[in-house]
Amino acid sequence: MVLLSRVADRIYWAARYIERAEDAARVLRSFGDVLADIPTSGSARWNSLVAVAGSDVELEPEDGSDERPVVRYLIADPEHSNSILNTVEACRENLRTCREVLPREAWQTVNDLSIYVRATAPTSIGRRAREAFLLRVVNDSRRLDGVLTVAMTRDAAYELWRLGRYIERGDMTTRVLGVRAATLLQLPPGGHDEFAEVRWMSVLRSLSALQMYQRASPGPIDGPDVVRFLLFDHHFPRSVAGCLAEIRSSVLRLPGNETVMHMLERADRELKNCRPHADDGAELDDAMDRVQLSLAGLHDALAARYLRF
Amino acid sequence: MSRLDALGLDELRERQRATDLEILTMGITFTVYSDGENIDRAWPFDIVPRLIAGSEWERVEIGLKQRLRALNMFIDDLYNDRRIIADGVFPAGLLEDSENYRPECEGISPKFGVWAHISGSDLVRGGDGEFYVLEDNLRVPSGVSYVIENRGVAKRVFPELFERQRVRPVDAYTDELNKMLASIAPDGRSRPQIAVLTPGIFNSAYFEHSFLAQRMGAALVEGADLTVGDDDCVYMRTIHGLERVDVIYRRIDDLFIDPEVFREDSMLGVPGLMRSWKAGNVGIANAPGAGVADDKCVYAWVPDMVRYYLGEEPLIKNVPTYRCMYDDEREYVLAHLDELVMKPANESGGYGIVIGDRASPDELAHVRGAIEADPRNWVAQPILQLSTAPTLVDEGLEPRHLDLRPFVLTGANSYVTAGGLTRVALTKGSLIVNSSQGGGSKDTWIVDAVPAPDGAPSQSQSQSQSQSESQSQGAS
Repeated sequence: MVLLSRVADRIYWAARYIERAEDAARVLRSFGDVLADIPTSGSARWNSLVAVAGSDVELEPEDGSDERPVVRYLIADPEHSNSILNTVEACRENLRTCREVLPREAWQTVNDLSIYVRATAPTSIGRRAREAFLLRVVNDSRRLDGVLTVAMTRDAAYELWRLGRYIERGDMTTRVLGVRAATLLQLPPGGHDEFAEVRWMSVLRSLSALQMYQRASPGPIDGPDVVRFLLFDHHFPRSVAGCLAEIRSSVLRLPGNETVMHMLERADRELKNCRPHADDGAELDDAMDRVQLSLAGLHDALAARYLRF
Repeated sequence: MSRLDALGLDELRERQRATDLEILTMGITFTVYSDGENIDRAWPFDIVPRLIAGSEWERVEIGLKQRLRALNMFIDDLYNDRRIIADGVFPAGLLEDSENYRPECEGISPKFGVWAHISGSDLVRGGDGEFYVLEDNLRVPSGVSYVIENRGVAKRVFPELFERQRVRPVDAYTDELNKMLASIAPDGRSRPQIAVLTPGIFNSAYFEHSFLAQRMGAALVEGADLTVGDDDCVYMRTIHGLERVDVIYRRIDDLFIDPEVFREDSMLGVPGLMRSWKAGNVGIANAPGAGVADDKCVYAWVPDMVRYYLGEEPLIKNVPTYRCMYDDEREYVLAHLDELVMKPANESGGYGIVIGDRASPDELAHVRGAIEADPRNWVAQPILQLSTAPTLVDEGLEPRHLDLRPFVLTGANSYVTAGGLTRVALTKGSLIVNSSQGGGSKDTWIVDAVPAPDGAPSQSQSQSQSQSESQSQGAS
């Protein structure tokens, strides 16, 4: 089946945007949970989350807390291109121009979600309304994958959808670890964080990884083990190694893939070479940067080969 | 309609609400341009179906096929021998002034002599209960996707009504379109690659372009996806490299399809497309230049074309039309502006039309000036008493004016949709049915009598129901 390069581009980006929306929703849910467990004070407890959306803005607290401004920024800010409002809309706009290659229910799922998000995002900032909103985003994103998994022919369009999903997903895993690194960096030198276990648990939860981690590593939660799991356990579908393995299986099914395979092997090597010490914030942060760069290189190779039109 | 009455107004309103929501969720939309923005709006659909008896529809079908055969012979004749002008049946002057005549197409004879492969003729039921053709749309008529979507929705709204009578299905259209398009591929191309060429997401009919591509398994392409090679063949840019395209169903006005030949500032088209078409390397539907017969002045000659080319009497009538290019007809029009509908020859979508009995003195004075300045480009028709059908509005079930656009495919054979797109004016008394101007739509049921179990035809429900479609009293 033929696939226009322009359509390939839109499918790939639709997948990235919906994954971005889902990931942001998952991170926001788990962050709300962890803060409830940590009796810290201060008005800027939420701001570290904006890094997950690839941003470094400083948001002004409202009524002594930055929770509402940060949540609004990540969920409903029309000016912020990576707010859930905008990423869901971007997914819809991309799919709207390639309805002819996707099963009909896929379009309907995202169209339905987009109608919901537009109507509900602005009023989903408070804690109670927020939970239902975020859950809906996560569920519909998974529903979309479900429709494609059971109803879409395994053609090049399908592989590009998977590539968009897994590149974004791998990238998000490194960002979540990056945010964790930032909290480590805030500790005084040689300091001990009595809530380390809770924080690592939150990292796992925001990647829907807690239960699978515990099955793989019985016993108390241990920082170095969590990092190992999220980077290298290729059996787990959100680990960076797991994402790269999925990317490999899709790239192998695309025509003329030499340049992309080359960059994929570089990303594999980059990942293998990074052995960050889980308690050293600077080292972890630096390692995540390098993995992110190799994923960006992979994206560039993919775009140059398949998405230019 | 008695079955609908039995449901009660509350139940009808509830079903209408559920339907509106479904249309929104399914993303059945059209795009309107307003306040400098393109807005994607939910398709307006009135759940109360419009019924037409099967026996009546068969006569309409034959009449439309006849009409489109004659129109295609006319277009082919104009770009080649011009017999109809030499024989004095059609005035040469009208051709010279035609905005939609494309000299670039002279001498070309597409497969089967067909230029307007896909057409949508607007029909209205007049005061005598007969269907009349109001205009022929031979360029890029739209609406067929809504015919099919409306039916899908209607089946879920009134499953019980479909069990009780035989409503002719409308789904086959896309298969017929697919076959027709494949038939105009260059000779020797087995399994031709078909592409639907769209101007893009901002076009008001983008939903339909996408829908048709989906249903046919065709590629939905924009101008930038295509390129014409040194071999004068058309290719599309795919992840596998360039792939040959055999047939293009273009949904772009012909002035924009090839900047080498027509408007050179067009970003929507494909440089070299006309070259490829003339070389016979790609089929284009509708053929460039087909619009020459889609002109409200040329319209007045269609009955003559049927007689001239086919030697038959037209089975569907035209609305009587005064041609302002002729002095006596123009004088009549200018003396009776308040009793007529004045139409510019080349506008579409209902724009520029002046309805005499509703226009202000200023508007009438303005149209008088316009006609005097450019008589060739104006026609006038009596104000029709458009038929009405019950429609669910705020006040309840009320009569509203409607028209009907069946779609006709012409290739080696002809095909007419079972029914077509019924458009309805939702405002009381209004005759404007265009969705861009507040019109709605209805599912159109061509209903056949269901034989009773003992083999004798039962009392035909369709007859009694189609009578519920009635004439409005007075032109109001």
